Amino acid sequence: MNSHEPFEEPVDEPLDGTSDGPLDGPFDELEAELTALGNLLDVPGPPPPSDMAAAVRARLEQVTPPHDARPTTRDTHVPGTSAPDTSAPDAEAPRTSAPGTSAPGTSAPGTSAPDAEAPGVEAPGGSGAGGPDPAHGPITGPVRPHTRRDSRAPGRRDGGRRSPARRGRRARWAIVAAVVVAVITVTAATPQGRAAVTQILRFAGIEIEIGETTPPPVTTTATLPGEHQVPRTDVPGQARFQVRTPAALGDPQRVTVADDGRMVSMFWPGGLRLDQFDGTVSPFFFKKLGPPAPEYTRVNGREAWWIPGEHPLGYILRQDGTQVPLRQAAATLIWQQDSLNFRLEGAKSKAEAVRIASSLG
Amino acid sequence: MDDDEAIARSLEGDLAAYEVLVARYSALAHRTAFMLGAGDEAEDVVQEAFVKAFRHLSGFRADAPFRPWLLRIVANETHNLTRSRGRRSSLELRLAGNADTRVPDDPEGAAVATDRRSRLLAAVRGLPERERQAVVCRYFLQLSEAETAQVLGWPVGTVKSSTHRGLARLRGEVGDELA
Repeated sequence: MNSHEPFEEPVDEPLDGTSDGPLDGPFDELEAELTALGNLLDVPGPPPPSDMAAAVRARLEQVTPPHDARPTTRDTHVPGTSAPDTSAPDAEAPRTSAPGTSAPGTSAPGTSAPDAEAPGVEAPGGSGAGGPDPAHGPITGPVRPHTRRDSRAPGRRDGGRRSPARRGRRARWAIVAAVVVAVITVTAATPQGRAAVTQILRFAGIEIEIGETTPPPVTTTATLPGEHQVPRTDVPGQARFQVRTPAALGDPQRVTVADDGRMVSMFWPGGLRLDQFDGTVSPFFFKKLGPPAPEYTRVNGREAWWIPGEHPLGYILRQDGTQVPLRQAAATLIWQQDSLNFRLEGAKSKAEAVRIASSLG
Repeated sequence: MDDDEAIARSLEGDLAAYEVLVARYSALAHRTAFMLGAGDEAEDVVQEAFVKAFRHLSGFRADAPFRPWLLRIVANETHNLTRSRGRRSSLELRLAGNADTRVPDDPEGAAVATDRRSRLLAAVRGLPERERQAVVCRYFLQLSEAETAQVLGWPVGTVKSSTHRGLARLRGEVGDELA
């Protein structure tokens, strides 16, 4: 540990009485005793570091797309304006050089989120049509593993109660975090996400444009560039990466390879479809979303997004970035694993999708 | 990933990088919060502190050590908590159950040592707030004077003098070594 701190010299407060300078001499033994005592103190075990890390992350992510991201991520001048009662996280001002600036300008700054983020609003369900299932709404309180809750000292007078002041403070922080995070998550989503903050969620090779209104459905159906059906045994020879299959689903009904081996799609009965593709650098798919907004979740402990409603899906030409509509996609889970991108379409629920995704071999 | 890199990446919005930092410092932060009086709310305090630290990360000087900067936030959060309780921070410091290191051949000596520790701990608990904070930071948390100054937000001189007074008071209460 380096102790070259800003405060090196100034001694503002004179030592009183026994001001004979450094403490060496007289207190040596007492100091050693105190240090030893410190090591013998009964400090309740800290939560597992990974739990704390996950809880903090969840707090920071709590405001992601639902409600907040729509207005917030739409506008490039966001953080300071969308929640005027919070101190603007100036440092997080989005960079505007992003490719996403060409996105449709459906933003409506005046309608931004302060209401939805008002302190004490626990369930965000009421702030407009198509909010996510309240059960999966953004987390507005502190997050902690339930098991830790039980470790509270049983006899404590104030039990688990927190003073109103403290709760208020939390609520305020929830808002501040919300404003920051709405911007942050957009960039945090991909390893390359730091390159650009946009009004667009880019994650797992997929660019998600989140608008305030539901985009018109795609009525046509197209296939991916160069998509062709391949016998299972030929897949390894044609795909550019090691293809994985979710154990929860068993063998797919059919498999296609597209985009010169960069995309493999598997199909199961009931409209289930798993796309896996490499290339994390530039997005390949795009999705256009209105409410309900994507929900953050995890697959094998890693970030994933559940897009609960049907939505227009297309792909982006590698050459010039042209967007080519594909079809109206069903609810989809997207995630990344080992530098591959996955999208699972057609699961009946988020839980089901996560279960399937977690079984990926 | 070292601290500098994790911080740089966190600043760019990489929450996974921030998770690394949180995991790395959560035990220390927890111990600090507890020792400074957060008691069984240390976990809440720490979570709050990490959220806050992320929010303020842009104000962190890149060439400065992260540890005292973070602990300063933990200390502030703890202070806010204890203030909102409207009472003195709860210093629920206890000797661990296994603290009395048994010396089979010398049960009497062990008992004396345990007794002295208990008295010393009680004396620390009874110190005036500032002196206690200084003593806790310097010896229980083993922070340097400079770190203590940063964590408590005091000038180094104040740390020195508060520590000195605290030590003098402790010696007055429990006497010298095994006296």
